[in-house]
Amino acid sequence: MVNLTIDGKQVTVSKAATIYEAALEAGIHIPVLCYAKKLLPYGACRVCLVEVEQMKGRLIPSCTTPVTQGMVVTTTSAEINKVRKTVLEFLLVNHVVECPVCDKGGECDLQDLTFEHEVYPNRFTGEKFALPTDEVNPLIERNMNRCVLCGKCARVCDEIVAFGSYSFINRGFESKIATAFDRGLNCEFCGQCVSMCPVGAILPRPFKFKARPWQLKEVDSVCGYCGNGCTVTLGVLKDKVETIRFNDKTGVNDGNLCIRGRFGYSYVNSEDRLTKPLVRKDGKLVQTDWKEALDTVVSGFAKARAEKGVGIVTGARLTNEELFLLKNLAKAMGTGNLDHSGGESYKGVTEGLFETLGVTASTATFPQVEECDTILSIRSDFYETHPVFGMVVNQAVKRHDAHLIVIADKRGKFGKLPHAETLLAKPGLEVNILNAMAQSLLADGLAITDGVEGVVELQAALADYTPELVAAQTGVPAAAIRAAAQQLAKAKKSAILLAYGLPYTAHSRELGIAAANLAILTGIPGREGSGLYLCGEKANSQGAIDLQIVPGKEALDSQSMFQAAAAGTLSALYIVGEDPLTSYPDRKKIETALDKVPFLVVQDIFLSPTAQQADVVLPAASFAEKDGTFTNAERRLQRVRQGIPLPGEAKTDYAIFELLAGRFGKQVSFTGPEAVFSQIAASTPGYGGIEYGAIGPQGVVWGGDLLAVKRRKVVAVAGGKPVETPYQLITGSSLYHNGTVSTRATGPLAVIPSPFVELGREDASTLQVKEGDLLTLRANGVEIKLAAKIDTRMPKGVLFAPYHFSSAGLNRIFTGQAAVPVEVSK
Amino acid sequence: MFKAFAKGLSITFKHMLPGHSVTVQYPHVKLKPSDRFRGLHRLVPAHDREKCVACYLCPTVCPAKCITVESAENAKGEKYPRIYEIDMLRCIFCGYCVEACPVEALEMTGAYELANYRRSDFVFTKERLLK
Ligand code: SF4
Ligand code: SF4
Ligand code: SF4
Ligand code: SF4
Ligand code: SF4
Ligand code: FES
Repeated sequence: MVNLTIDGKQVTVSKAATIYEAALEAGIHIPVLCYAKKLLPYGACRVCLVEVEQMKGRLIPSCTTPVTQGMVVTTTSAEINKVRKTVLEFLLVNHVVECPVCDKGGECDLQDLTFEHEVYPNRFTGEKFALPTDEVNPLIERNMNRCVLCGKCARVCDEIVAFGSYSFINRGFESKIATAFDRGLNCEFCGQCVSMCPVGAILPRPFKFKARPWQLKEVDSVCGYCGNGCTVTLGVLKDKVETIRFNDKTGVNDGNLCIRGRFGYSYVNSEDRLTKPLVRKDGKLVQTDWKEALDTVVSGFAKARAEKGVGIVTGARLTNEELFLLKNLAKAMGTGNLDHSGGESYKGVTEGLFETLGVTASTATFPQVEECDTILSIRSDFYETHPVFGMVVNQAVKRHDAHLIVIADKRGKFGKLPHAETLLAKPGLEVNILNAMAQSLLADGLAITDGVEGVVELQAALADYTPELVAAQTGVPAAAIRAAAQQLAKAKKSAILLAYGLPYTAHSRELGIAAANLAILTGIPGREGSGLYLCGEKANSQGAIDLQIVPGKEALDSQSMFQAAAAGTLSALYIVGEDPLTSYPDRKKIETALDKVPFLVVQDIFLSPTAQQADVVLPAASFAEKDGTFTNAERRLQRVRQGIPLPGEAKTDYAIFELLAGRFGKQVSFTGPEAVFSQIAASTPGYGGIEYGAIGPQGVVWGGDLLAVKRRKVVAVAGGKPVETPYQLITGSSLYHNGTVSTRATGPLAVIPSPFVELGREDASTLQVKEGDLLTLRANGVEIKLAAKIDTRMPKGVLFAPYHFSSAGLNRIFTGQAAVPVEVSK
Repeated sequence: MFKAFAKGLSITFKHMLPGHSVTVQYPHVKLKPSDRFRGLHRLVPAHDREKCVACYLCPTVCPAKCITVESAENAKGEKYPRIYEIDMLRCIFCGYCVEACPVEALEMTGAYELANYRRSDFVFTKERLLK
């Protein structure tokens, strides 16, 4: 700690603090332009100049100068103000001042500083910038005539996003921020640069000329897409979500978002939203009122219950409170056939983790990863499924020199980071590599085995997984496997990342166990700063696991429900917030099930392909229209808040479940999500003692920052077998989409408008295909056609197609395998 | 004393003579208000559109909250007021809006005859304000 005096105030701060940060802590405001809390100090603008007694003779930039013991700082004086004013005058010489038509007006740092320092008139005159603007990009508008060259955009894109779109080009008056070759933006469109720009040089295009910032109602909520659980602040104008506001005060994402969170909100305002219940009459879905719809549902379920039973499948974007009510509803309906997210996706990994560690959640929190020495990411897709957690990894690598190891079947963004090493294996062999790493640790005596059960058995079982043998199977050099294992073993703080989701069902139990084995053998569970991260695909995947939205004893899980429906042994299906026809593996099976099941109720926000098959469709609410809590992938409970009213007659899932439970004779009236939450807290392991009202801006992590594991038991699991065909297709998540709902949002669609199949250059030239050509993929007698996307990411013989688009029909050939052997032709 | 009385009355009677009255025969005769009079607003036209760039300063400053602006992007990519309306029933003719306008797109005219039969006729749309 260091003591210093700022404007006569005694301040004690950590010795790593800068003068600016020290002043902030003391409640003294120093104006800044190029400073940002989450970026490294830069010192570009000189607005933050202060006077330091010990460094008399010149003014010191407070944002880059570290504090020293006994420093005496003055933050305002006539002289300082004069210099600041001059700095602003210089900035305004070239700046094209067009505040009336600039969307930044009202929250522009330059505007505020100009006003504060009364910089009018300007003593200097000069040429104004006359640079071309980019107003054609559908997401990010750039007008460099307003740029103050603070470098924040370039810094955030490099330091945090690790994409590196921008840099300064030219010198002197000609200096400007530009992309490579000064072309249009072609990036991740995470919008971090938009949120960092202190002026109106980089703006969100979808919000162009929509409103002034002071007209917006700001509602703090949580992103409804993935399990990363970023906090978002909805900018609501006239009951419509018009934009997502920058807010780094809530959550742990520092205001960072990915394209889905930042630009994927538009689906909530979509014209295609369901606004009235629908029932099937004479083979057609027609609009009706709630009374008739509920009557039909109740009589249908009652009949089905008396016959062969009802099955309930839900998505994982419902709030905890809604899931709890759904569970009660299932009880009221007397069925144990309850499952979420297609069953398979979460089941294997959680079982695996439970078997080895006795927990079914991540053992640590996201911010801890920033300090890690070694990070192991299973699948390169991790950045794609959880981009903002990916940005934490970027920072660990870039700022903490962490060593990143990626086990993957294709190259990805992580592999491009400094010191990152991708162990590029043939598809479906991740477990083999994890096994080999465990084997090498055990054989070399590097493993931590104290208090670990099952070590001897594991060691014996892993005899077939020496790095050499696995190298021969997977194509990853044995030395690389050994080195990776050693890196992980010697790290004081380390993290293993594993994501799950609908397209990643294969070997999931094995993966969960193999990852946990490695975590145990390297001492991760329970060690300060280390963690095994299990990251779900949807906003409340973890909540669904915590609340045990799983089949009861001897009841059907999701896959069995569809099987039973297809075989005619289930009388009704209730599908909530899912589109199995598009997103579950094996469309044929789902089709048959939906076709055969006598009574199908779908509750959704859109008339999805699944909903089109339903007998009754109930219109539900999006994340922006409800209150409650989500639990993210690091076990953080966060508040979801209603920003806009429900469209038409739609109801929240909460309200629908309550109505239905009442009709089934379990009338429990809760006064609201808060009352439901207290029940959840009382009945959910780990949630005990958490109060709804106490869930603040940073949320509450159940189980604490370090989750105590119940056991440490290593279990042997068998690896996969490589697919031996010239071409194999893998599926997964695309960075720009999440689930199927993002295909209804204009932002993500602006970047990835349609399905595609990605292949490497080598394959492209063998097959003689060009970008955009239609490729025919044939497997199990089914043929699908997808537009080719050619790049350098895919190894030879491996093709990748994301699963989000219904029109692609990918699940006609993907039935849950790690890799689908395909025949490819033009 | 009588003299003073007569003098006073003479002033009174003088005002009764034609040409000395301050009363005008409204509506047959109308006065021209001063240039600084704050009457009905007018949106200043530019070449092919209104000068207003929909900056939202006038609705923000308006103490009576009677101005409605909705901005949009026109074919040329410019910001323009898709909707610009003033509800004259609520307007207090303070002139703050005119003062706030950064591009001198709004003026107040001498028009003060604003009476009408329907409430809706008091809402002046962009088209009416541009006249
Ligand atoms: S960047 Fe700021 S100062 Fe410049 S035109 Fe926009 S609002 Fe005005
Ligand atoms: S949107 Fe994200 S990736 Fe693209 S330039 Fe901005 S910060 Fe970089
Ligand atoms: S574009 Fe914005 S963030 Fe980037 S340097 Fe210019 S002012 Fe700073
Ligand atoms: S990472 Fe996930 S939670 Fe965060 S903004 Fe993106 S989709 Fe939303
Ligand atoms: S202040 Fe002027 S430019 Fe701005 S909205 Fe009003 S009339 Fe238009
Ligand atoms: S804020 Fe310190 S130099 Fe810009």
